[in-house]
Amino acid sequence: MPNTLRVIYSAFRMAMLYWMADPQWIIPNVIAPFVFTAVAFTLFNAYEGSSGPFGLYAVLGGGMMGMWGNTIYSSGFAISFEKWQGTLEEVMAAPSKFIHVIAGRSISNALFGLINMVAVFIVGIFVFKISLGIYDPILFTISLLLTLLSVSALGLIFASAFVLSRSAQTLTNGLETPLYIISGSMFPIALLPFWSHPLAYILGPTWGIDAIRLTTSQQYASQTFWTGMGTNSALFLDLTVMILITAAYAAIATVLFKMVETRARTMGTLVEA
Amino acid sequence: MAVNERTSEASFKESVGLCVCSNLKYGLNFMNELGSQDGSSSGKAIVAEHLCKTFEITKGMLRRKKTQVVALKDVSFEVDYGELFGLVGPNGAGKTTTIKILTTMLIPTSGRATVLGYDSRKDVTKIREKIGIVLGGERGLYTRVSAVDNLRYFADLYGVPRNIQDKRIKELLEFMGLSDKAHVRVETYSKGMKQRLHLARGLINDPEIIFLDEPTVGLDPEIAIETRSMIKGLVEKGKTILLTTHYMFEADALCKRVAIIRNGDVVALDTPSGLKRYVMETSVVEVEGFGITEKEVARFREMKDIISVSAELGENKQVLKIQTPKGSEIISEVQEVLKDSHIYDIKIKEPTLEDAYLKLVAT
Repeated sequence: MPNTLRVIYSAFRMAMLYWMADPQWIIPNVIAPFVFTAVAFTLFNAYEGSSGPFGLYAVLGGGMMGMWGNTIYSSGFAISFEKWQGTLEEVMAAPSKFIHVIAGRSISNALFGLINMVAVFIVGIFVFKISLGIYDPILFTISLLLTLLSVSALGLIFASAFVLSRSAQTLTNGLETPLYIISGSMFPIALLPFWSHPLAYILGPTWGIDAIRLTTSQQYASQTFWTGMGTNSALFLDLTVMILITAAYAAIATVLFKMVETRARTMGTLVEA
Repeated sequence: MAVNERTSEASFKESVGLCVCSNLKYGLNFMNELGSQDGSSSGKAIVAEHLCKTFEITKGMLRRKKTQVVALKDVSFEVDYGELFGLVGPNGAGKTTTIKILTTMLIPTSGRATVLGYDSRKDVTKIREKIGIVLGGERGLYTRVSAVDNLRYFADLYGVPRNIQDKRIKELLEFMGLSDKAHVRVETYSKGMKQRLHLARGLINDPEIIFLDEPTVGLDPEIAIETRSMIKGLVEKGKTILLTTHYMFEADALCKRVAIIRNGDVVALDTPSGLKRYVMETSVVEVEGFGITEKEVARFREMKDIISVSAELGENKQVLKIQTPKGSEIISEVQEVLKDSHIYDIKIKEPTLEDAYLKLVAT
């Protein structure tokens, strides 16, 4: 039985090699969030000035959009790509678990989104002069990496649909923006309708973006959706819930992939392009 | 017009024998000399028992209509260890479906398949670890990375230990004659090089059984011969191979036994010479000419003494192969049907495996 970490790493490496071989994929994933950030920041800046918390929302939100969009889009695309290349059958015929292959790809996609986030940070700080002091760099990095894993795990759930259906791209295209808004990446979820809050709470990235904000700005802690706690306990709660949700995503994705594989072996729907 | 008697077998066998690829000089030391016979109580490498596969196709959005497509009706055969077994049949006959069931990619609707003694339905990982799959064509490779990157990736997916990977990849690339292009992007490879890389990928886990699905389709004759030589080399190394092909001469030259599959059924299973006995009492009249159309072909097919007709209706030349028990007696009738065409040559040939195949798939 192939080593799980080895397979994840190998799939990650292959995805990175492909990204490097074909850099044009980066263009829509860098330009779109950057433009979105610029528009949002200009609006927020006109409303409150560059020192206000909304600027932080714009920069973090733009970065999250890159990570999130990249994962959702690319996880699905990774499978469509395997179909086009004709490698999906070869990969699925290998003894390693298919979910581990896609996990490696999903992590690489989220990592590229992270690069995107860094680009948005740099632009936010140097072009729009936003003051973005990172209060706790270590916890910031941990929060960011855990958010990356959470986004990747959610990407896995969506990816399972792509093995079977050619219309799965429509599903993820349709879900990308709502999920992005609901998770509070750009706007505080307190501003969103109450009915959307439960949806927000079951999204790992919601807790992740909150944790990132907490580690970025201490004074910002009181404005998080979980009020009445100090920064550390709120951060601890964010990270714990996010880890639990991510584990649940991974468990759901494992079950879904098993179902999808069985269905593909029964229906012969694997190679639909 | 010339009428020749030719009794020779296809000269292909000789050409394969003479053209054993120079790459075989490389050792492939890692390969098992003989497949180890894991868990097989029957002593057979592959057993297919009454395999049946039906696909359900759903159409329509609101009024969903389900239709059933039968891909396999009843496929049974056994393959010995170290045997090169051929599965031939027309498009849509069920060859690829059979391979997919044996390689655990599909679950049969009914029937049972065992590979190395393991059940293809349940023992998925055990089977996958011990088999190699080579699907023909230019797809199925990561073209933007190198051959080494492709092989390393699949080595990890097959759980080949890192300390073995480097040596095995080097040996495989040498065996396939790709060493000098090992670090070059696959997208720059020729068709033949890609096919050799496919074979290398199929061998990355040192499989006991190799499934080759039309490995020479679309290749230049020279590269196809080279690929066949490599396949022969693998059998000499003790590998068990299940090969599907459209080319009867290929099956004749390479396979110990051949199963002919038609409409999801095995209609014949024998050695190539055994299959030729189906058409021993017949001859093949091969006609080369110009101006021969589908109309004439249809007329031949309606004639009562003709068993089968295959036609290659090229732009500049048309070739008909007419299988008949009447031998040279039919030539006058052929000339009558083709009186408005130019006949370049008519030959009476001994039946080949292709003729046996044509008879079996036609009846």
